[in-house]
Amino acid sequence: MTEWKNSILAHPEKIAVPVMTYPGLQLIGKSVMDMVTIGEVQYHCVKALSAKYPAIGATTLIMDLSVEAEAFGSLINFSENEIPTVSKRLIDSFEQVVNLKIPAIGDGRTKSHLTAARLAADNNTALQVFGGIIGPYSLAGRLYDITEMMTAILIEPEGAHDLLNICTSFLKEYALAFKKAGCNGIVIAEPAAGLLADYQCEEFSSRYVKQIVDFVQDDNFMVVLHNCGNTVSLVESMLGTGAAGFHFGNAVDMCEILPQVPSNRLVFGNLDPAGVIKNGSPEIIKVKTKELLTRTSQYNNFVISSGCDIPPGTKIENIDAFFEAIAEYNKG
Amino acid sequence: MNEIIEKLTTCIEFGKINQKSPFPPSMRGEVGADELTRQALEAGIKPVEILEQGLIPGMNAVGLKFSQGKVFVPEMLMAAKAMSMALVHLKPYFMSGEVKRKGTFIIGTVFGDLHDIGKNLVAMTVEGAGWEVIDLGVDVKTESFLDTLEKYPNCAVGISALLTTTMGNMESVVKLVKEKYPLTKVLVGGAPLNTEFSNKIGADFYSRDPQGAVAYLNNLQNC
Ligand code: B12
Repeated sequence: MTEWKNSILAHPEKIAVPVMTYPGLQLIGKSVMDMVTIGEVQYHCVKALSAKYPAIGATTLIMDLSVEAEAFGSLINFSENEIPTVSKRLIDSFEQVVNLKIPAIGDGRTKSHLTAARLAADNNTALQVFGGIIGPYSLAGRLYDITEMMTAILIEPEGAHDLLNICTSFLKEYALAFKKAGCNGIVIAEPAAGLLADYQCEEFSSRYVKQIVDFVQDDNFMVVLHNCGNTVSLVESMLGTGAAGFHFGNAVDMCEILPQVPSNRLVFGNLDPAGVIKNGSPEIIKVKTKELLTRTSQYNNFVISSGCDIPPGTKIENIDAFFEAIAEYNKG
Repeated sequence: MNEIIEKLTTCIEFGKINQKSPFPPSMRGEVGADELTRQALEAGIKPVEILEQGLIPGMNAVGLKFSQGKVFVPEMLMAAKAMSMALVHLKPYFMSGEVKRKGTFIIGTVFGDLHDIGKNLVAMTVEGAGWEVIDLGVDVKTESFLDTLEKYPNCAVGISALLTTTMGNMESVVKLVKEKYPLTKVLVGGAPLNTEFSNKIGADFYSRDPQGAVAYLNNLQNC
């Protein structure tokens, strides 16, 4: 990981790490349902994508925000072509936290995601392979209801911390399982923390993310913290987690973020995955990609990416346009 | 102005639900929206005054701070909770007709979409502004909007969407609502939307925040 990071920092030439699994479905003729439930399908998707786009700097596995809650026992809605979602809260009071059983690694669909990770790592789909897990505050929100979790931090902070502790215990082990599967790192998706004030983000998210970072990160395993909220004032708290990389959504202007991050930490971001990459024309995608690269050119620690998971149904020619734009930019 | 009403406004603005609630820390142990609304009624203050001079200014104040990025989603939701608590005591007066609701507002997140924080904020703010709100929840099918409209034909409708993929679903909802109830006003909102999109799909109004929705609805009522 350190080596990979150093090579990025040393070379002005840009690599791309889009958060991308779903577009691979079209290349191998499978459905979203197959992808989220069968590890081999997920692996074949990322393999097909890296074969088609050798410029991919790192394989990122699925950003599935329901798998961890499912492992805890939440009911999940599945459909053939949509991303699975949690259908209702698992607990409606913090007293029930003591009854929550920390899932075993392999429970529910964690097994399928770890299979995908192992296959991708064994077969080196890219120079680096990153697994994906949800962040502690967002997981707590899935289990307790996100709107309720927003106010719980103010009226029942102890209860909120109890739940966050349970969530973090599981996430540490799940993160470690990706490491054992041979991944070079993980992306922790913590979208719900983007709605908090900086001091709230610190107390109810970053502090717990730091525990995961401390548990798994080393010279060979990197943690990338993703937050797609309006994070301009949250950067300091995010940095405090000690993660080696930070991934930002399209709610922010990268030029307001990059000056806040030390030059030895990687910063990924932030083309609008839906508005631009999925719904834009190839011409628009090229313009937006080059524009972002040009605006951030002075930062060697910047790695171009999508602001979030590229949605299912995104046309392959749109992904082509993204990579073409990077190649053209690199040629100068 | 009456001291109870003034205190009530502060409780709403700062999300002080009741005496038991530890939030905000600076008001720990003090009475909240719950107790003050009861006290106001006991002191003979008219429910309509409690609503218009107590609750609404409180919601307006916190709404403004939220738009300016001075408070965040948790505080905004606390204010809405405090207000809902106050409204519990005013409900009997709405039911008896002593206080007239400004109208009925049906709101839901469009089918395919499960984001509800923004929708909840709009629902609670509109309710606090004196409207009866029927919240249909998330992933709301067109039929559900139509069935509810059948029961409340004179109401306004609000639809929320947070996904670019589900924004498109709003178009069919608006079309079918307008076909069956041409006079019904439809408001749309959610982070990826804008006025241009709202016009394109035939909605009547787009607002980027709950306050805009309240202003539009109140204006309708004055027509
Ligand atoms: C919290 C969140 C979630 C939570 C939702 C929990 C819940 N119960 O709501 C969870 C984790 C479940 C989630 C899931 C997903 N999410 Co999400 N999520 C967010 C997040 C972080 C915040 C949204 C939010 O609540 N904002 C706060 C509220 C207050 O703002 P708001 O909704 O805009 O509402 C305000 C106004 O718009 C307005 N308003 C809202 N509705 C209405 C209605 C009317 C009538 C009016 C007048 C006004 C109005 O008033 C509100 C108050 O000011 C955003 C990123 C971000 N920071 O915005 C992504 C985001 C919305 N999610 C996104 C995605 C892609 C998803 C998933 C597909 C991810 C996945 N891979 O599974 C799933 C989809 C599930 C589904 N089918 O709906 C994308 C959408 C991209 C796009 N434009 O299409 C975003 C933008 C993230 C990103 N950068 O990519 N998500």
